[in-house]
This record gives sequence, C-alpha cells and structure tokens, in this order.
Amino acid sequence: MSDVVHLPKPFHFAAAFGAGALLTLMVLFNGTLAAYGSLFFSSWVPHLTGTIAALIFLLVLRPKRLRSDRPPLWTYLGGVSGGLTVMLTSASMNSALALSGTIALGLAGQVIFSLFADMRGLFGLPQKMPGLRDGIALGLILAGSLVLIFFGGSV
Amino acid sequence: MYAVLAGGLVGLSRQINGRLALSTSAMESSFWNHAVGLGFVTITALLIGGLFAGEPQSAPWWAYLGGPVGVVFIAAGSWLIARIGAAQTAMLIIAGQMISGVMLDLILGAPGNPLARITGVALILTGMWVARR
Repeated sequence: MSDVVHLPKPFHFAAAFGAGALLTLMVLFNGTLAAYGSLFFSSWVPHLTGTIAALIFLLVLRPKRLRSDRPPLWTYLGGVSGGLTVMLTSASMNSALALSGTIALGLAGQVIFSLFADMRGLFGLPQKMPGLRDGIALGLILAGSLVLIFFGGSV
Repeated sequence: MYAVLAGGLVGLSRQINGRLALSTSAMESSFWNHAVGLGFVTITALLIGGLFAGEPQSAPWWAYLGGPVGVVFIAAGSWLIARIGAAQTAMLIIAGQMISGVMLDLILGAPGNPLARITGVALILTGMWVARR
C-alpha cells in the first residue's frame, strides 16, 4: 500500500488548496446559519442537504469502486466524529477561550493527530514517516496561520 | 482542551473516511459521512432539544449552501489522504483555508492588519514551496 504515498504533486496541491478554500466558504455559510438559528440547526442543515447532494453526485457520476472488498463497519462512523466536532467547538467557544484561540488550538490538534496517524498508519491507511522537509513546511504554515489568526484580524 | 480535541476529531474523521474511500470511492465515503452524521446530529438534537430555536427562517438563502460545499470538501479530503498522507493533507488544507480566508476578508472589506496579513501569507506560501520540493 505504501507505494501510493508520494510527495504532493501540483494537482494534489491544487486540490488541497481548493479544499481549504471550500472550507472557508463552508464556515461562512454554516456560521451565518448559526447566527440565526441554533448550533444544532447549523450542523443539521448542512448534513441534510449534504446527504442529498452526495446522493445526486453519486447517481450522476457513478464512481467506480477501487476494490471489491467490503469495508469494515467502523469505517462508516467518520460522520459521528464530524458531528462531535461541532459540539466540542461550540463548547470551547463558550469557554474563556476566544475564537482565535479556539481556531489555533484546533489546528494544533489536527496537525498532532495527523502526524501520529501517518507514523502509525492508523485505521488502515498507508504508513508514512514525516521527514525534515515536512517538519519545516509544517512549521512555516503553522507560523503563518498563527500570525493571521492572532494579528491579521481575520477572525 | 476541547478545542485541541475538536481538531483531533477532524483528523480522526478524515482518517476513517479516507479508509472507507479506499474500499469504495471518495464520493461514496462523503455520502456516508453526511448520512451517518445527520443521524447522529438528529438524535443528539432530539435528546437535548432546541433544534429549531432562534430565527433560522430569517437566515439568507445562501447560508443553506454549506451542505453541498461540505460534500465536495469531505470527498477531496478522503481522496487526498490516501495519496499524500494525513499530515500533508492537513497542512495544505490549512494553507488553503488561511489564504482564502484573507482573500474573503479583503473582498468583504473586513478590517485587518495589512502587515500581519502579508507576513502570514508569505510564511504559508514559503511552507508550501518547501513541501513541494
């Protein structure tokens, strides 16, 4: 399996970068919803419309299955983790921590988990030891993010 | 502590969805993520109550577009994580989120420190340049 993991190619860059931009839009949309309705509502609506949208995408695109094996049942539970995230985020935003602190710590948690997941090949994904180059890149991107979060006035 | 945990859960769900995508497809994995998440949020909201509190009907129509955007976002994450690993996926998505956030702020005319914005974006772009070797 480890042969599928490469250094990112330009297309991967574009895809990940574009996904980050989608996330910005998503936060704007869902955050606006939360400003009018409850926090549950702001998570419930996108899950509902997302389920319908995904169904339409599947019917139109009919993506091929890469493998014919049945995935383990626990792999269907990623959505629970996503639902929990919304509640924890709200819990931390209601604590003494400001929004910028919540975002910064969230990034830290995400990066720590992903490094650990790569090193161990968690949940059946390819194992990958992060190298020095990854460390430097990660440090620069996190430093830039912290500058934007705490001094950029963007949140 | 909740905030760190929430960040870890983002990684956790991307890892699990990525594994599901290996056996199915990125879009099918995104469908299950949303369908199962919908069930989870519905049950929790019914137990705790207050799902329709506030004035959700007065929200602008475009605020309801988060779902379809999220579907593509989750599918992209599942597709990427099996190809470039969890750490690379996380840091490139963070880079894209941060820089597009600055662009959105500029478009919306949100107040901000120009020097900090330039420094932050420059650091992130340098990091991406290092990552691409």
